[in-house]
Amino acid sequence: MNIGKLPVGKIIDAGIDFLVEHLSFLTKAGADIVETVLSALERGLLAVPAPGFIALTALGIWLLTKDRKLCLGSIMGLLLIWNMGLWSATISTIALVAVSTLCALAVGIPLGIMAAISSILNKVVTPILDVMQTMPAFVYLIPAIPFFGLGKTAAIFSTVVFSMPPAIRFTYLGIRQIPTDLVECSTAFGATRWQRLIKLDLPLAAPTIMAGINQTVMLALSMVVIASMIGAKGLGGEVWKAIQRLQMGRGFEAGIAIVIVAIILDRVLQNLGTPKQQQ
Amino acid sequence: MKKIFLVLAGLLLLMAQPVLAAKGKVRMAYVEWDCALASTMVAKAALEQMGYEVETLPVAAAAMWQALGTGNVDASVAAWLPNTHADYLARLQDKVERVSIVTGGAKLGWAVPSYVTISSIEELNAHADRFNNEIIGIDPGAGLMRLSEQAIADYGLQLELVDGSGATMTAALANALKNKQWIVVTGWTPHWMFGKWDLKYLDDPKGVLGGEEQIETVVRQGLKTDMPEVYTFFSNFGWDSAEQLQMVMAWNQEGGTPEENAHRFLKEHPETVNRWMSR
Repeated sequence: MNIGKLPVGKIIDAGIDFLVEHLSFLTKAGADIVETVLSALERGLLAVPAPGFIALTALGIWLLTKDRKLCLGSIMGLLLIWNMGLWSATISTIALVAVSTLCALAVGIPLGIMAAISSILNKVVTPILDVMQTMPAFVYLIPAIPFFGLGKTAAIFSTVVFSMPPAIRFTYLGIRQIPTDLVECSTAFGATRWQRLIKLDLPLAAPTIMAGINQTVMLALSMVVIASMIGAKGLGGEVWKAIQRLQMGRGFEAGIAIVIVAIILDRVLQNLGTPKQQQ
Repeated sequence: MKKIFLVLAGLLLLMAQPVLAAKGKVRMAYVEWDCALASTMVAKAALEQMGYEVETLPVAAAAMWQALGTGNVDASVAAWLPNTHADYLARLQDKVERVSIVTGGAKLGWAVPSYVTISSIEELNAHADRFNNEIIGIDPGAGLMRLSEQAIADYGLQLELVDGSGATMTAALANALKNKQWIVVTGWTPHWMFGKWDLKYLDDPKGVLGGEEQIETVVRQGLKTDMPEVYTFFSNFGWDSAEQLQMVMAWNQEGGTPEENAHRFLKEHPETVNRWMSR
């Protein structure tokens, strides 16, 4: 049986061309807005001198977690980054990851809640999530250029695609795992669906959702080097530049900086996710 | 959660106001190669002297061409023609404009360490096992790789072309040199590896790997009407000689940032810069 090669690639090419034709003016406008917000955020963060920023971060971590070891570790890590001359690249990466993560969560968490409520939506969303998590980023990096231009917006787009799934999956799981007796109890007391969501589902699912947020941040950080191939700069760009020129040491320096940022964010978010024992 | 948003809101308050450029903004893309970096930074410094704001984006070759084709960046002084970037040019023929030659005398070929005792591609088969039956290549999709496949076919070689990237190729080369092993890599000039190590090109009697390459300036369609002065600058842009480019590349290897070295060039070679600015 020979049906010949199916024109999958051709259809996708035509589809992309059609979208560029009819949609790119919208995405370009959106890209400009994102670019403006991001560069303003970056400038704002860079306006604070490094020592001040490190002190503020340490203070923020202390207020959030009350964890002395984490505080000291963060100070040491950030001082090392500053000392290696990677401060502005790090700030640029933090800004990129922050904006990407916020976009991913703003879409992902509501979607997760809706998927938990409606099983039809869940059936639709699940295969899409599989595609988002497994489609190699390189495949859509270049086609994204006509829509978002070179630079940070295209990087944010690909980062959001890659890092949104855990936010959706974990939110869905957290809400689905609420014990049925509690749900029955709330129904017995005459709670509306909305009341149940706010007062029962979300508080109980909070640790799971927090774990999802943590995963989203981590995945966003793991995209920085790939994103640098379309002009995202930042720490990923430093890694790429160094590797292109065979400066192994420099590559590792930037890599270590990424690890430091990742560990700090991970520990802080984990800390927020675990309910505190009130003494 | 609330605390995180408060922290972010606080950071957003720190935003600075965007600065407006005097004459307009020029976006240039380049591939993170030493020759491209040197040319791009010098062009950037000259345009800034003319009162433009210049943004430079280091990206992958495919991304650079795609962005030129969609008009997202204005120019690139890192187009390798007629061979290396032939595939990209063929696809974007009517969307970009070739306006000047940055430097001639670029060359593609297969390089070996000078201690390798063969001198021609035709001798490779006889010593294939010493080369581990491999030719170490760069990014799949580069014109150099296409030509290398052609060479393997035309010379009937029993060696296999290994895909990788510019970085993996130089890493493999460095490793072989350290161990005094035989290795053959796909190479091009100008490239820092020829300055750093003692290498030689293998003769290519059939001329498959292309004769001379040149590096050209390519601008987006429509730059002529939008920014005539910038268009004129790029039409005049080019090094006086290959040696002049090698000199700036050597400065970059010795130290100082590429930006600093670009300004140094502007100071030391006003006659060249005046030619670019048609003064």
